Amino acid sequence: MKRQTKHTSQEQEQLSQMQSQERSALEFATPEDLLRHDAKEVSVPPEIAERLARSLQSEPRPARSWWRRFLDR
Amino acid sequence: METLVSESSVQPERPLRPRVPLEPAEFARLYEEHSRAVYYLALRYLGDPQKAEDATHDVFLKVYRKFNEFRGDSSLRTWLYRITINHCHNLRQSWHSRNLLTTTDDSLWETAAAPVDSPLRVLELKELGERIQRTLDGLSDEYRLLLLLVADEEMSYEEIAELTQQTADAVRGKLHRARKAFALRFQQTA
Repeated sequence: MKRQTKHTSQEQEQLSQMQSQERSALEFATPEDLLRHDAKEVSVPPEIAERLARSLQSEPRPARSWWRRFLDR
Repeated sequence: METLVSESSVQPERPLRPRVPLEPAEFARLYEEHSRAVYYLALRYLGDPQKAEDATHDVFLKVYRKFNEFRGDSSLRTWLYRITINHCHNLRQSWHSRNLLTTTDDSLWETAAAPVDSPLRVLELKELGERIQRTLDGLSDEYRLLLLLVADEEMSYEEIAELTQQTADAVRGKLHRARKAFALRFQQTA
């Protein structure tokens, strides 16, 4: 009887592991759904913005258009 | 410089809005809004985080310099992607010529039997990015690009067709085959 109880508890453990795996599994209907999920997980390295800021410092400042100068008066 | 997609073919002669130089604050907003999309496309198209970082920097610098050439006849996202794709394509072309890499033959995937409609099941999220990259690396440039573009919900089939210079029907047909190729390859990377 004890043996039977142990077996049942092992089964329960396996079942619980399987259920846990089921919960952590993700399903994507299409590759683009998977890629959308992946895109959300990817973060843009902050170094790019820092490099851009440095690069823009050496760029000539764009000339303001006549209508913008007019509106800013 | 060789280009994958034509910048002139979608830019009409008559501008649809005033050509305005980009102010730094506007550029910052543009970067905030679109940098993730540009970086992600570069990352998965090139398959190298450092090269994607360089490419994203170069693309946005080009955008800053050439913004007065944006005429507004396509969406800003489409215009940004056009610059990104051409930049990445040129990089890939130069590696291919240097390293004599063979191109992927998509017909191998097209003849293989695969349940196209079955979902892609993922158990281990930890290395999912690497698995996706390995899968994309095994596809042709065209299939990889089409899948990455259609994954952006801001992009319509018509815009993808315009970017890749083909009809929307051709895009749909190729996407069907690209999905199948991706699913097969993805299963093999498990």
